[in-house]
Amino acid sequence: MRERMTGAASFGGATRPPRTSKLQSIREGYGFLMPWLAGLLGLTLGPALFSLYLSFTKYDLVSDPKWIGMGNYVRIFSTDPKFWIAMKVTFTYVFLSVPLKLGFALAIAMMLNKGLRGLPIYRALFYLPSLLGGSVAIAILWRQVFSSGGLFNQVLAMLGIKGMGWVSTPETALYTLVLLTVWQFGSSMIIFLAGLRQIPADMYEAASIDGASPRRQFFRITLPLLTPVIFFNAIVQTIDAFKAFNSAFIISDGTGGPVNATLFYTLYLFQEAFSFFRMGYAAALAWVLVMIIGCITAISFFMSRYWVHYDE
Amino acid sequence: MSDTAPDMLPGMQRSRWSGVRKHTFLCCVSLVMLYPLLWMVAASLKPSTEILNTASIIPSHVDFSSYRRGWFGLDVSFGTFFLNSLIVSVLSVIGNVMTCSLTAFAFARLHFPGRNLCFAIMLGTLMLPYHVVLIPQYILFLNLGWIDTFLPLVVPKFMATDAFFIFLMVQFFRGIPRELDEAARLDGCSAWRIYYKIMLPLSIPVLATAAIFSFIFTWDDFFAPLIYLGDPGNYTSQVALRSFIDSSNQSDWGGLFAMSSLALVPVFIFFVFFQRLLIEGIATTGMKR
Amino acid sequence: MASLTLSKVTKRFGVFDAIKDIDLSVEKGEFVVFVGPSGCGKSTLLRMIAGLEGISGGELMIGGALMNDVAPAHRGIAMVFQSYALYPHMSVRKNMAFALETAGMPKSEVTARVGKAASILQIEALLDRKPKQLSGGQRQRVAIGRAIVRDPQIFLFDEPLSNLDAELRVQMRVEIAKLHKELGATMIYVTHDQVEAMTMADKIVVLRLGQVEQIGTPLDLYNAPVNRFVAGFIGSPKMNFLNATLLSVSGAGAEVELADQRLLIPRGLASAQSGRIELGLRPEHAMLSGGDIALGRMEVILVEHLGGNTLLYGKLADGQMLTVQVEDQARTQAGDSVEIFTQARRCHLFAENGSAFTPV
Repeated sequence: MRERMTGAASFGGATRPPRTSKLQSIREGYGFLMPWLAGLLGLTLGPALFSLYLSFTKYDLVSDPKWIGMGNYVRIFSTDPKFWIAMKVTFTYVFLSVPLKLGFALAIAMMLNKGLRGLPIYRALFYLPSLLGGSVAIAILWRQVFSSGGLFNQVLAMLGIKGMGWVSTPETALYTLVLLTVWQFGSSMIIFLAGLRQIPADMYEAASIDGASPRRQFFRITLPLLTPVIFFNAIVQTIDAFKAFNSAFIISDGTGGPVNATLFYTLYLFQEAFSFFRMGYAAALAWVLVMIIGCITAISFFMSRYWVHYDE
Repeated sequence: MSDTAPDMLPGMQRSRWSGVRKHTFLCCVSLVMLYPLLWMVAASLKPSTEILNTASIIPSHVDFSSYRRGWFGLDVSFGTFFLNSLIVSVLSVIGNVMTCSLTAFAFARLHFPGRNLCFAIMLGTLMLPYHVVLIPQYILFLNLGWIDTFLPLVVPKFMATDAFFIFLMVQFFRGIPRELDEAARLDGCSAWRIYYKIMLPLSIPVLATAAIFSFIFTWDDFFAPLIYLGDPGNYTSQVALRSFIDSSNQSDWGGLFAMSSLALVPVFIFFVFFQRLLIEGIATTGMKR
Repeated sequence: MASLTLSKVTKRFGVFDAIKDIDLSVEKGEFVVFVGPSGCGKSTLLRMIAGLEGISGGELMIGGALMNDVAPAHRGIAMVFQSYALYPHMSVRKNMAFALETAGMPKSEVTARVGKAASILQIEALLDRKPKQLSGGQRQRVAIGRAIVRDPQIFLFDEPLSNLDAELRVQMRVEIAKLHKELGATMIYVTHDQVEAMTMADKIVVLRLGQVEQIGTPLDLYNAPVNRFVAGFIGSPKMNFLNATLLSVSGAGAEVELADQRLLIPRGLASAQSGRIELGLRPEHAMLSGGDIALGRMEVILVEHLGGNTLLYGKLADGQMLTVQVEDQARTQAGDSVEIFTQARRCHLFAENGSAFTPV
């Protein structure tokens, strides 16, 4: 009979075959996670804890942090009018821009979904602003478009309407930023398109055999089945909107003006930290932002039970 | 995602007329949306006297003088700024692709105690506002003497701090048949060898997607360079554009538009050539960032 | 020396035992088939042998060495996956060479081994193609080739033919059997298809709910199933099970009452008690004439002509359903009443708990 070597011997001749053990799987797993773990501890969790500590101190980068207990938080909620202005501006911005953006994205996605010719072209065109939108260049463009001599007023003038300095007027400045956000509806639209594609066609076939009108199909099939995607999109966009910074910074030259009309929360935080070097106070502002985002996310998840449709 | 549209659904046949109406509407929307962009690019090519006070996008004649003026509009030329942006972006791409794929591989394919907890934490950091870690990170980099260098912009990318890319890759890795790993294990591969001999070659699409997004996000990043870069010689293009507004007192819109257009070019090139990857990336993760 | 020995091998998922106390010995050169319904644990058991699943209890020995915690690559086994698991980005040649290269084998030997395996499988012409460019049958061969080059002690096959169409499946079945002869290697083969098991195996292991029901040659299982489950699983069409009453057991066999008839079946059970039992009768062992016992009349309800033989579905006098397979093309039609006979030694008896009366 032919003599066969054991696998271990025939493969490189290791004297003792390596063993698979729990220890090895730990070594392997955390080996791969090493860079991430280092980042998590050194750049995320560690700093997060440190900023929590800083938020209870007075710190200007030069002298040592001085413990002042709840001082920063008390000041934020009681004697800081600028905080409430920033809150109002940010909430107005979030609750205007997110629904408008998602509504627009969903409407266009619905139009594109139903076997429309040229879908890839439209999808690309609508996506382009969303891809470019993060750039400072676009904020600069926006600032010009809605300035008093800007493109928007030129167009209005052709229609015989006299415009104004939309960016420099406190009453309208924020709305130009909302518009800039809505303009970038493309990525949400793509997510909706992917969601719409998940809805099986035979469901519509069954519904139309049952005699449901397109309108009824939209409200009874499309919308309910799309609610998980809508919900997810809404959460992501809301969190994103709270963190918005670039456009307001560029359009207002970093001031949040005119008259604090575009003083986004993050912009206020930036000013406190890097213009006035009130690091402790800025850290407290950051944690308040975390709590706000956390609360809104939690409420959204709680509310989602009443309107989001899950299969399971 | 396939580009072929699903068949017309029964009960939804619409007249040709309604199709035309729809196309007209969509064309109008696209035009309105893209007009400002076209106008900016056109304005950068107009003689400077023509730029303002017209909504037209057709220049009387094409004039590149705005580009020359803009390029040298600051003390340091835009060549330096674009080069700085390029350096930072390329390094970020390398860091992100390397470390995020390592992390994603561990989450998608390896079994070890604590994996699910780590994964949950990773998803949690996806939601954490950057502002919470901003100040301690600033203090950290200040103490390391890294302010006014590219290190604060680049080093975090080598520590897989961008959870978005990890998530993107985990989603993709999970789609690769597990039997391939098992076959490789039977073939004597260590986890590391499975990662670079099997997983990476099969993941080129998602690695490319991550690379492109990573490049675009870094190229467009304004906040971090604004905080960490002080010397104009180190500015990235985004920060440079911003100081251009300040210095030119809004008089040289032509130069500003020319440089703005140039700053959009790399992103636009990726859009033209890799649109499909970008769209798939968004559709699979459900988020842009 | 046994090529593979399992003793009290167990796999636990939480409180659930996916595999429970399995004892099995596989001799060198044997072709062993694990068969059972889906969820019986046959694939899990194979993967435990391969090292892809951990072993919760018991011992796994390959070639006399304890292998419980040895890495898959060092167990001296090779596996052919149901999905083939060919590396899509590598050529056929690379696929086959990969394990050897990983082990750091000299290039010349790698080339020689790949060439030899390719010639055995007649896939030399495909060596530079990618898996995408191959047909199902060709992929199957490459997957086998990848196993052959490693010259393993044991080949493991996990339902390797289930992705092929019926015709190709028969062809590959024959080829694998041929390959087994040629290589003289030990092979363990998992399938849910009892025909594959019957035709290929030297030894069949029937599994249910993570436990071994019976181990034996194909004919052992067919002729003397130890319980109702194995009797029902092996053989096609499925065995008939008829309710009957056990009257008495003597040295000559068991006296049984079925449909008002008294039958003496030469089977005994040590601790048999009178009462309800089941009489198992394979359709091919029920006859319209001849035989040594009569089961009474059957009213034919449905006739299926398969060409080579005919299946009659009918009802016995007491209303129990029965399937009868007769050779050739029977003239019987639905509505006819026919007399059913069989041979006493072809009858199987099962106690109420399902275990079989052994032949006397």
